[in-house]
Amino acid sequence: MILRWWLASSALLSSMTIVLVIGFLLHSSWPLLQQQGIAFIAETEWYPFEALYGMLPALLGTLWSVALALLIAIPCGVAAAILCAEILPPGLRGAVRFGMELMAGIPSVVYGLLGMWLLIPLLESQLDLLTGRTLLAAGLLLALMILPTIMVLSEDALRGVRRSQREAALSLGLGWDVSLWRVLLPQAWPGIRVAILLAMGRAMGETVAVMLVVGSIDRIPQPFYNLLQPAQTLTSRIGREMAEVSVGSLHWAALLFCGLMLAMVAISISLLAHRRVVTA
Amino acid sequence: MLQRWFMVILFGCSVAGPLNAATTTIKVAGSTTVLPIISEAAKQYRALHPELNLTVSGGGSGVGVSNVERGTINLGMASRPLSASEAIRLGSKIDVIPVARDAVAVAVSKTVYESGVKQLSLSQIAAIYRGEIRNWREVGGVDAPILVIDKEASRGTRHVFASVVLGNARARAPGATIITGSNNEEQAVISRSDQAIGMLSNAWLNDRVRAVAVGDGADALLPTSENVAQGRYVIKRDLSILVPHNRSKEVDGFVDFLLSEQGQSVVQMVGFHPVR
Repeated sequence: MILRWWLASSALLSSMTIVLVIGFLLHSSWPLLQQQGIAFIAETEWYPFEALYGMLPALLGTLWSVALALLIAIPCGVAAAILCAEILPPGLRGAVRFGMELMAGIPSVVYGLLGMWLLIPLLESQLDLLTGRTLLAAGLLLALMILPTIMVLSEDALRGVRRSQREAALSLGLGWDVSLWRVLLPQAWPGIRVAILLAMGRAMGETVAVMLVVGSIDRIPQPFYNLLQPAQTLTSRIGREMAEVSVGSLHWAALLFCGLMLAMVAISISLLAHRRVVTA
Repeated sequence: MLQRWFMVILFGCSVAGPLNAATTTIKVAGSTTVLPIISEAAKQYRALHPELNLTVSGGGSGVGVSNVERGTINLGMASRPLSASEAIRLGSKIDVIPVARDAVAVAVSKTVYESGVKQLSLSQIAAIYRGEIRNWREVGGVDAPILVIDKEASRGTRHVFASVVLGNARARAPGATIITGSNNEEQAVISRSDQAIGMLSNAWLNDRVRAVAVGDGADALLPTSENVAQGRYVIKRDLSILVPHNRSKEVDGFVDFLLSEQGQSVVQMVGFHPVR
């Protein structure tokens, strides 16, 4: 009986927290919505002193940096996972995995400093840029940060494929590559997909590291797909401006609205991931 | 930004410190321009009053003002005057006490300076920040695009710079390439670039980050301490502490120390100009 109560109340409490968070964000950003409607999401000018709260540059910046990070980290991470799960002997495999787990444990500010002192000068000298603080830098750094998540979880998924499936593939006389593409990856796909979604969530919410390398300027790159220009992301904006606003002002509401948008995206990602786990 | 993390660490240390000793803590936060003065002064003051615990952290003038207002710190640091709305809200609750004078230098990378950009008029600087001048060639340098560094809108350095150069403390700077926060961060960007221009407190200049003389022709002035003391250098300001009216006597003691001879010698040592 007590166990049941404990389980039920814990479950209720944790699900209530998310309602609370969303409720708080919505409540706090309400003054902005009330005053300016919702159109500011598609506006391009963020200038709090003039009550302009255009979200488009930061939204686009978040989108680009996350997309770039995934584009790099998914192929690398999944390839490393295949190598570890299928090819490497156990000793080496353990070493690679250990390295990845260590990488996942490094605090993001360390990645940020790494980006600032190594990546940015490198980009500046190699690509002959005015400044290395660009969407490209943010995307590369994020790729590094989410790589361990993708690799470790994908490897678990691959190793979770049933032995009988491998044996069936072997007995059909399938070559290694065919059985990889036709049997192992499709079987492991639900797990890999969860890995990707979790990594995406982390990339989207990453603040400090991105803030240090993205340039933090609220301007849409020209043209909009130019990743070699400084830009802004939602998290970097919150990180830079949150400390300085007076609580309850319109500016504060706007920053919390940035948070609300991130929370909504994160929740949709979790819902997607959840559904896949259940159906798998 | 580094200061913010430094502050977190400092704060952690101060919390984890000896909890059993009966210490009084004075929390100070705000402008990263004022920070070096206060942290050095705090070090010396602690030697005199070991029972006191002083934690000093950055964040920018805006943070100093808003945290004093919220009552989360005992002393704020500001490198700009209070804005009109802040003065209305806080005028009757806090004292703004100047502890040092400072010039905001128009700082360029060493390479830019040595390529011939040794002085800029206010209108040239304004044109650079408005995006009308985009190449160093147009102001006497080599043919290279200008990396224009703007600061976070709440920063005291930006308020002073923008009000003198652009005519309004909150003016936009459409020519800006990137935005930085603390003096430390901005100094790092300028020193690692060879095309950058930025606004930097005088005390943060060094060999790789040089100030240009500001003004027209022969009247252009460098932000030297004489020019600042005599009020001739135009981009200048008072560095102040924000003291709430309902302060403890420990806070009063520290404020008096800052204005004493020893406190003012710290100001000079750190690279600013004393007020007394």
